[in-house]
Parts: sequence; C-alpha cells; structure tokens
Amino acid sequence: MKNNTSSIKKSGLGAKASRRISNTLIYIVLIVMTVVWLFPYFGIVLESLRMESTGRVDYMIPKEWGFGNYEYLFTNTNFPTWFINTTIMGLATAVLQTFFILSMSYTLSRLRFKGRKFLMNFMLILGMFPGFLTMILIYKIFGDLGLTHANAPFGLIIVYCASSGMGYYVSKGFFDTISKSLDEAARIDGATRWQVFYKVIMPLSKPIIIYTILMGFMAPWGDFMLARFLAAGDDLGKNVAVGMWGWLQATNPSTMYTRFCAAGVTVSIPVTAVFLALQKYYVEGVTGGAVKG
Amino acid sequence: MKMSKILTLVLVLVMIVSCFAACQPTKPDNGDNGGNGGNKETIKVWVSEVPGATELAEAQIAEFLAANPDYDAKYTFEVSGVSEADAASQVLADVALAPDVFCFAQDQLARLVQAKALAAPGLQATANLKEANDSVSISAASVAGTLYAYPLTSDNGYYMYYDKSVITNPDDLAQIVADCEAAGKNICFELENAWYTASFFMATGCHSNWTMDDKGKFTSVDDDFNSDKGLVAMKGMQIVTKSPNYINSSSEFANAGIVVTGIWNANTAVETLGDNLGVTDLPSFTVDGETYHLASFSGNKLMGVKPQSDPAKAAMLSKLAQYLTNTECQLERYKEFQWGPSNLVAQQDANVKANESLVALALQNEHATPQGNIHGSWWDIAKLLGGESKNAATEDDLRLALDTYEKTILDLLKKSDDELRAWSVIGSINGTGWNVDLEMEELENGVWQTIEAYDLTTDDQFKLRQGGGWNVQVGVANEKTGETTSGYYARLMDGADEPGNITVATAGKYYVKLTWEEGTHNATVELVPAN
Amino acid sequence: MKQLNALEYLKLNKFQRFLYDFKQFFCAIPGWFKGLILAFLGLVKDFAIKIKDGFLDIIHTFVKGNWAVKLSFVIFGLGNIYYGQIARGILFFLFEVAFVVYMFFIPTSVDVSSGLPNYRTQSGLNWLKSVNWFETGNTVGTIQQKPGYDYEYDVPITIPGEDSTRVLFNALLAVIFIIAFIVTWRLQVKQCRICMDITASGKKIKSGKDDLKSLLDDQFHKTLLAPSIIGIGLFTVLPMIFMIIIAFTNYSDVFGSIGLLNGQSELYQWVGFKNLAELLNFSEGGIGVAFGELLVWTLIWAVFATFTNYFLGMMVAIMINKKGIKIKKFWRTVLVMTIAIPQFVSLLYISKMFDFNGFIGSFLYNNVPFIRDYLVANNTNTLWQVPEAARIMLIVINIWVGIPYVMLMATGILMNIPADLYESAQIDGANGVQQFTKITLPYMLFVTGPYLLTSFVGNLNNFNIIFLLSGGGPTNFDMNIPSLEGLVPGHTDLLITWLFKLSTGSGAGARYYLASALGILIFLVVAILSLIVYNVIPSTKNEEDFA
Repeated sequence: MKNNTSSIKKSGLGAKASRRISNTLIYIVLIVMTVVWLFPYFGIVLESLRMESTGRVDYMIPKEWGFGNYEYLFTNTNFPTWFINTTIMGLATAVLQTFFILSMSYTLSRLRFKGRKFLMNFMLILGMFPGFLTMILIYKIFGDLGLTHANAPFGLIIVYCASSGMGYYVSKGFFDTISKSLDEAARIDGATRWQVFYKVIMPLSKPIIIYTILMGFMAPWGDFMLARFLAAGDDLGKNVAVGMWGWLQATNPSTMYTRFCAAGVTVSIPVTAVFLALQKYYVEGVTGGAVKG
Repeated sequence: MKMSKILTLVLVLVMIVSCFAACQPTKPDNGDNGGNGGNKETIKVWVSEVPGATELAEAQIAEFLAANPDYDAKYTFEVSGVSEADAASQVLADVALAPDVFCFAQDQLARLVQAKALAAPGLQATANLKEANDSVSISAASVAGTLYAYPLTSDNGYYMYYDKSVITNPDDLAQIVADCEAAGKNICFELENAWYTASFFMATGCHSNWTMDDKGKFTSVDDDFNSDKGLVAMKGMQIVTKSPNYINSSSEFANAGIVVTGIWNANTAVETLGDNLGVTDLPSFTVDGETYHLASFSGNKLMGVKPQSDPAKAAMLSKLAQYLTNTECQLERYKEFQWGPSNLVAQQDANVKANESLVALALQNEHATPQGNIHGSWWDIAKLLGGESKNAATEDDLRLALDTYEKTILDLLKKSDDELRAWSVIGSINGTGWNVDLEMEELENGVWQTIEAYDLTTDDQFKLRQGGGWNVQVGVANEKTGETTSGYYARLMDGADEPGNITVATAGKYYVKLTWEEGTHNATVELVPAN
Repeated sequence: MKQLNALEYLKLNKFQRFLYDFKQFFCAIPGWFKGLILAFLGLVKDFAIKIKDGFLDIIHTFVKGNWAVKLSFVIFGLGNIYYGQIARGILFFLFEVAFVVYMFFIPTSVDVSSGLPNYRTQSGLNWLKSVNWFETGNTVGTIQQKPGYDYEYDVPITIPGEDSTRVLFNALLAVIFIIAFIVTWRLQVKQCRICMDITASGKKIKSGKDDLKSLLDDQFHKTLLAPSIIGIGLFTVLPMIFMIIIAFTNYSDVFGSIGLLNGQSELYQWVGFKNLAELLNFSEGGIGVAFGELLVWTLIWAVFATFTNYFLGMMVAIMINKKGIKIKKFWRTVLVMTIAIPQFVSLLYISKMFDFNGFIGSFLYNNVPFIRDYLVANNTNTLWQVPEAARIMLIVINIWVGIPYVMLMATGILMNIPADLYESAQIDGANGVQQFTKITLPYMLFVTGPYLLTSFVGNLNNFNIIFLLSGGGPTNFDMNIPSLEGLVPGHTDLLITWLFKLSTGSGAGARYYLASALGILIFLVVAILSLIVYNVIPSTKNEEDFA
C-alpha cells in the first residue's frame, strides 16, 4: 500500500494509521495462533513432570515436580528398546531411501528411454491402491524369513525402502529445474552418463538430498500401520509409535498416562532438533514439490 | 570361436545327461537339516508384556530345564512379552508363525479353539490340571467339556475400592451415593461399559447365555434383560447414574469416593488413597423394598500350547506349560505382580490370603458369573443401557431402552435367506444328542445331501429341519395323528402333530439325502451308503 | 451443448462461467470413454501386429539359423555361446536349469522330528496343481490339516496339511516364473537373430565387457532403475496381485456367524465375486450400507480437510509475509513445530486432552454451559462421543495439523508473484480483499493445482488423524449389519481406517477377504476422483493469465 491517495479515498484515515491497525490485528491473530499451536506442547511437557499421580487430572500445572516419569521410562519399560529400534530404522531408511528415490527421480527427470511414460503412469496407478494391504502377504513371507516380531525393525526397513522409488515426485521436480545444457556440455567433453550423474548433477543437488534424507529419517517415527502389523504384538519389535499407543489402550491407562507424556517429550526432542536444523531444506522441498507436482 | 563351439557341444551333452538323471525317481530327502544332529530347536514363548514378566518366565524356564536336562540338550527357548488382551489376534494372524506357548485372556479361548490354534493337554495332564486348579478357572479353560488350556490366574474380576474417610457403610449403595454427594467425592463406576453394566442385571437374576454350534457360530441366545427383573436392574443403576457425582470410569482415582475396578489398579489405589483405602466386595442396592447384592463377571488368564505334529515336542510343551502354571510358579508371579493364583494350593498361601484385593475378589466371587462366550456385538449393545438409565425420565423410558436392547440382540441372530432355506440333519446320531445341526448341501434344485457321510447304528433316530428351526421339518408319519403310512412326512409345525423321528434300520456309513418339493411339501429321505 | 468461443465465454459472469465449465465437464465424459475404448482397441491392434511380427521373426530365425541356433530353441544360450557371447549364454543356460529344477525337481519338505510331510516347500508344478485357480467352492490348496492322538506320549498331535496363503503365494511365484521363462526364451532367440544379422553383415559382435560398460552410459537408466523396480515389483506389485486375488476367496481368521476360516488350520475357498457383491449390497443389513455411508463421510472429510487447510494456510502465509510484520522467522518456526514433532505424540495427546478426563474436556464440561447441555442432551460427557461433534473436532484439529504445511508452501509461492501486478492493482484502486481475490488466489490456484490434487487424495486416505484422534468412534449403533459382527465402522471412520480394522480384526477377527475387496473399491474411488479433480482444477487453460 504505497499509494497514499488510494488509501485516503477508501477510508479517510492516514495510510500509516490504517497500516498500524491492520498490523495490530495481524499481531493479535499471530499471538493467539502461537498460543494455540504451542499449548499442547506445553501441556505435554508439564504433565510429563507431574509427580503426584500418573493418571489424568483436570488441572495443568503439576502440584509436585520431578523427573520420576522419565526415570520410570528407562528403568521399568521397554521404551529404550523402542527408541533404539526407531533410531536404527530412521538412520537406515534415511540412507537407503535416498538412494532409491534419487536414482528413480534422476532417471525419470533427465534420461529418456523406452517405457518411461509407461513406468510413470504405472507407478501413479499403483499408488492409488491402499498400500497397507500389501502387509497381509508381506507379514507371512517375512515371518517365514524371521523378519517379524522381535526382528520387525529389519523387516520394516526393507518395506520402507524397497518401494520408496514410487515417491519420486518431489525430487524429480527438483531435477527438472537443473538446466539440461549442463549435461550436454559434459557429454560433449566425453563424460559417460554415470559421470554426468556423479560429478555434475549430484554436487548441485545438496538441498534435495538433504530433504530426502530428512524425510527418510522422520518416517519411521510416525509410522503406525505397518509397524504394528509386523511387530505383531511383540514388545521388543515395536517402534515408539506402536509401543506408546499401546500404553494408552491398555486396561489401565491411568498408570501410564504421565509416562506417555514423558516418552513423547523424549521422542520429540531429537526429531525436532534434527528437523529444525534442516528446516531450510524442508521448506525448499515442500515448495518445489507442490509447484511442480 | 572354436572354443565356444566346443563349449556349446559340452552343454548339449550335459543337458541330455541331466535329462536322463531327472527321469530316475527321486527320493524325497529327509527335511532341511536331516536329523537331530546338534541343532537345537527354538521354542517361542509369549508371556505378558508387563515389565519383568519375561525375565521371570526365563528364570522359571531355566529351572524347568534344570529339572529336565534332556530337554535342555534339544531345545532353546525364546521368551517375549505380548499383551494377553490381543494374543489371540496375533496368533490367528498366522498360526505357523505363532509362538509354541502363549498366554491369553479367557474371552479369546473359543476363538482359538475354533481356529484349531490350541492343543488340548493329554488325558493324564487334563486330570492333573482339573485337580490342581479351582473349578472357575477350569470351566473358563474348557469348551464343551474339553480342557484346552492351562489356567494361569484367577483374578480377573471387579470389586470396590473406597475412601474410608468418606464411606460410612460400604455395603449399601444408596448410603455410598449419599456419602459421596455429601463429601463432594466422585462415584467411579463404569456403567457405560457392558462388563460393568451387567453387574446390576446379574444381581437381579438376569442372564444372557449364548450358544454356539461346533463351527463357532452363534445360533441362539437366552437373554432376559428385557423383563421385570431387568427393569429392577435399570432402576438400581439409576441410584448411581442419576447422581451428579457419578463418573463413567474405572480408573480415575483422583477425588474418588469409590472406584469399582479390578486388581490391575491395586497399586494406583494404594498410591492415591493411602491410609484411607478400603477394599471390599460390591455393595447391595434396594429397589421396591427388595435388596440385591451386586454381581460381577469373573475371568481368568490362561496359557495355551500350539498344536504340534511331533509328539515328543508336543509332550515337552505340555510339560512346560504344566510347570509354568504349577503352584510355585503361580506364587512367584503373585509375589512379583500380585496376580491371583488359580492353583488351589497357591490360593491357601499365607501371603495370598492376606492380600486385601484378593480377599475382596474372593468375597465378590460368591456373586460372580464366569464370563462365557458372548457375541462380540453384545458388548456394544448392552453398554448403552448404562447411559439410558441416566437419561431416562420415566419408567416407560426404561422399558423402551430394554425393548430396543432386546430387538437389537435378536437382530444379531437374524438369518440370511440362504441360511433359512438350508436343510440340516439333527438327531441322536454321530455322537450328538439333538443339539447339533449336521450340514447339508444342495446338489441340485430341491435335492439336499449331508456334506459328510456318518456312521449310523441301528435305532439311531433323526429328523431333518429347514433353517435351523423346527417350523419346517421332515420325519415319519406320527402315530398320534393316526396316520399309518410309512412314507416320509413334512409339515409346518402347528402344535402337537409334528412328524415322528426317522429310525435307522441297518447300521452303516451313510449320506442322508432329501428330495424336497417346495410347493407341495412332498419329501423323500434316503440313506445313501458311502463306499 | 453449445460450444462458446473465447469472447462469448469472457462475457459470462462468474456463476455462468462456473455452470458452463461444469456442464462442459460432464458432457466431456462420454468423449473420454469413447477415447478410452478407441485407445484400448488401438493397443489391442498394435499388440496383435507385434505378436504376428514376433512369430514371423522366430520362424525366420529357426529356418535360417545354424545347428546351434536351432538347438538354442530348446537349450537356452547355445546360440549366444556359439557366437562368442559366453557370459550371456551361460546366464541364459543357468536360468533354464534353475527353472527346470524349480518346476519339477524340488521335493516336498518333511518335518524333521515327526517325519511327516509339512508342505512348506514343493516343486513349482505341485504348487500350481494344488491351487485350484478360481474354482468357486473349491479350496485353495488340497490337503487339510487333521487332528490325531499319540498314546505313547499321551498328547494330542496334528497331522499337517497345506497352508492356503503359502500355496497361493507360491503358485503366483510359479506363474511369474513361467512368464519370465517365456520372455527369456523369446529374448535369447532374438539375440540369436541379432548375432546372425551382425555376423552376416561382417561386423564384430559386442563382448560382455562392452555390455557392462554400456550400463554406465547408454544403458545407464537400467542400472539406476533396476533396484527400484525390483523393490517395487517384489514389495508392491506382487503383494497387490496377491491382495486382488484374495478378494475372490474367503480368507479370514474369524469365527462367529460368518463361519470360521484360518490361514493355517483350515484351507480357504474360492468364492468368485461374492465379496464384491456383498460390499455393494445396499439393501438393509448389507455391507453396502456401511460402505456407502463411509464413502459419503470420506468425501465430506476430504473436501473440508483439503480446503479449510488450503485457504487458512494461505491467509496465515499472507499475514506473516505482510510488510511491517516483525520476527517472521519466529512465527514460522512456531507453526513448523507441528510438522517436526511426531504426529502420534501430539495427536494422541490432543485426543486425550479433549476427553472428559482430560483438562480441556473437563473444563468445557464444567465451565461452558451450552457444551454441557449439549453433551447431556446427547447422553455423554465427552465431545468424542457425539458423532457430529467428533466430526467437527476432527476437521478443526486437522486445521491445526495442516496449516503449517500450506503456510510453508504458500510462502515460497507468494514471493514469486510479480510485484508489479500488485502495484498496478493499487493504482487502479483495488483494496486488500480485491487484490487477494483477483491476483493472489488465482495465481496460487494455478500454481498449486497439483498440490491440491495430491492433498485431496492424501486426505481421502488420511489414516493417522482419524485413527489417533477418534479411533473411528463413536460406535454407530444405527447401523445394523449382522455379518460385520464387531467390525461395523464408527461415525468418523474413513474407508482407510475401516480397511485397517478389517485387516487387523481389532479383536473381532481379521477379514482379509473383505479388506481386499474394499481395497479394490478404494482404488476405484481414488482413481475416479483423481480423474475428476484433475480435470476440474485450473490448469493449462488459464496459462496465459500470468504469461
């Protein structure tokens, strides 16, 4: 609103005053939003520090403070195992999934070959089936191979990664934006396609690589459907989501409620830290992916 | 080029030779590792997911192996923790992958038996188990008289925790409500959960008994919730639900005057109520001058063994399960987790007898009914009655709620058109006593035959009926009505003149075959000998 | 319908335009079908021609080829070896040997300790024989497990039988192996032909080394795609085919009024189209009733979830990006927290918070009279227990979850809108609202069309929010479907959460057969909706607006 005259015409107020009013309103909205958005997190942290009872109560501020719930997590439950399981899955998925997604998206974006269009359409249609249903068979096959129950994390790594090529959209969008002339120049200089991929394109792709790694790392922390199926109830094979969900479903949620909160905080800290540190790349990915589809 | 040509020829030769070799009959070689050479077989055991349960089970198995060293040489054991509440779902997802020994809550027994996922103990073992455990747990582990599982605990019921400083008379419900209201304390009774709702109905003598056929299908229900007794129960519930202090919960101890719950909340109860904690059986309530003692469901945890093809392994697993459920192991579990034993000797242990919660449970058990096999949807239907009692303004509202309940229950058993059309054989044949429908299939339009052939002995008697009911049935002419023809005879049942039983003349293995004309009701029954 | 030209179109007002577009869309549908059928016929024709050419080529190769080529019609790879492509030839040959051994010579495995056959491994031919493909009424697998008793050890035992799931899976593998065999046969015959042609023209035949080299150059796409395609084939395509086949059986682990079946204890049966018919049986008491209600709610949910997030997220982005608003980074980071913190933590916590025993739930009940009255009128004390309230809460909480994503995305795009567009609008006297509706919104809609599509489809299958917040509840007591016994969907269940319940059983027994049939229907719903949405969202036709 640079133009003074138009503002005056509209409201009869000075441009500055009008802007101040609208900005104040925006600040109010933003502050309210901040409160709403952070409220659950404050709640969960406070409840995790509550010592006087382990069930739910109708007030927010604990009457007795302490770290008892955290202590309990690491001494009396299988939470450490779940945490380690999920971390291993996160790291392995981050590496393997990046490999699958990058090779798929790079090929579809920059190489032209017979069947390319077919492959893309095929994957699009395949993606419309509820992927969860594959678990009915995979559970049995993995069971025969010993990759379920306590070994479920290893089975899950395979499940997460093997078909991850189907999620190529975001990074293909990124590769599409890198100029084709780079490839051509390198090819003229006698580089093979492998060399173009490895020496020319990869160094330019840091943002998308980090984005893919980040997504791969985060996925196992939130997965519930697949993880629950493969762990099949075995406490040692669960990830944090399945294990902690079980606490709230048990016949006695009142004994685990504040401990659930403590575990939630414990899980959130590393994941949030990684995420916020790499936030920049995430934003690039989201924006790019949305626009290019 | 030359080299490659020679290689080509060699390959041709190899191919021809291998074809000849393949034509020889091949003997199936004996399995993967061919014998018991050194390789130990792994036995998977599932116990409760409660922290410490796996460690205790491992220690107990180690003792078992110390006592049976030859098993130690053959098997290794792997223990993991799985919630007993959904063990059946996990086992049934794939029986082949399921553990060899697992623990589960009794309500899953029928399902596991029907799925053939449980190996019954042997004859001697059954006798021993029946002697060692209380009768409630034995009946909980049996289906149709056969023991299928090993009783593990006998403590899954509810009773009352209360605040001694508030409640003056824990035996009278009205007084309890009055005390809580006066002190501003909550009345925690999860009446909108059928498991607890049933408490009032069973107190007034109502029952809901479901019967299943041998395929695990619910065929009929004997339910009298919609009766005068049921109305009394609804009124009794209103004593609690109409109170402003009523809370539909079994776990919120904060600010509670009473909490109706089970042993799993014992620790929370001690923590929150401290010195004021009182534990006792459920109170009585009075409606229209009559007093009723609140009833409850009782339940057990059981240990099951997966069916095996190898008798030696099956015997070992049976022994292991017997060991893990014996007096000592049950007492160890009591010590560790306060699980009430099902073993009669263990129940007499001084520590067990001194446990307040278990004492209350034992008191309440005098008014308890073992939780039978109930239709899965019943829980969702019956729990509504709790809420309805709270909402109802008049007695008519209560009656309406009960009418709706009955209608919904009966709807569950409505048969499909196919089922109503299907014929079956029923009688004192094949070891059954007029309680099992033997299925028939339709060979062609109007011609029905039993799916299996049955061994029939002389003088066995049976009838055929349609749709699993007696409205349309086929038998021989009835002497009472004076008909003397020997032909088969069918009619829509309208009182006394139903057809008589068909009697087998010559023993043998037969299919029963029926030719039936829908319009004229002409029927012919043949016994087709099976070869 | 009358086709308007561009000028006439521009003369219409907004509503008329919308109506026109709408009509155009539906009038175009028969055209699509015609196009689809034509395209399909074209494909069939092309395919027929290809097959004919293939046969001619094969015959030619056989007639013209030398003895090695002729023999390689039976013994794989001989031709290649003859022409010096030894590595390739040996691979072909090994494949054939493996195939023959797999199909005919794998013995039925035997239980080590009991000495009974356990049918875990069998030859491919055996699997194919026992599966009884699609014979309605017949079992998948042939040998039933039987009970027995061992009097020496005094224990009951089980005489093993086949397991339907494994029979079906292995039969499927055998079919795939046979197809691969035929394809490989054709491939190596073709290779012979190529070698023949090259030799005839006097050129040198490529060596194995050249082949390997080209995998990093001309054939680089094969190297890059191979792992992904193998992964997708094994872990998505194969299980999906299996799942589709399951929809024609009665595989479940249920007992109760629909009868008992189990993966291992009892063989399951082929039932033809019974499951699909059951799912689409809309008469009273049919499962179709549940399916229909769920479909409607799923669509309502997807529309609300997508568009509330989209517009509100955009507004928030505009607010934060407005000139003069300070600490932009702070506002953004606060919102981004919802993305960073695992959903199951925040959503489960929020769900419990709104419960009667949670502090917001109890606060609302005790201190907000109209909510209390509303709840009491509905005979409960928790918002989650009232169907409409639960649905509204889900949509509202979904806004909490979804705004940050849209905000991040919109921020990036807003910065790309050419500033001069706004300046000229201001000169024309447009106010803030007008600027938004005339410039920002059309631009956003245009650029983020694909995002809207994927987010709509994503919301159709939004498992986490529903499952973690309401778990599909409250129970729907009005829906009386006897054959669903315990698995009747709740008021807030989406198709996908119902699918999850059906395939895990949630205590009432898993019904894989229904889950699979439902999976097929979900696929159809998603595919049809995607097609419609794709054609409705602003796409290329408005491209010149911002050129």
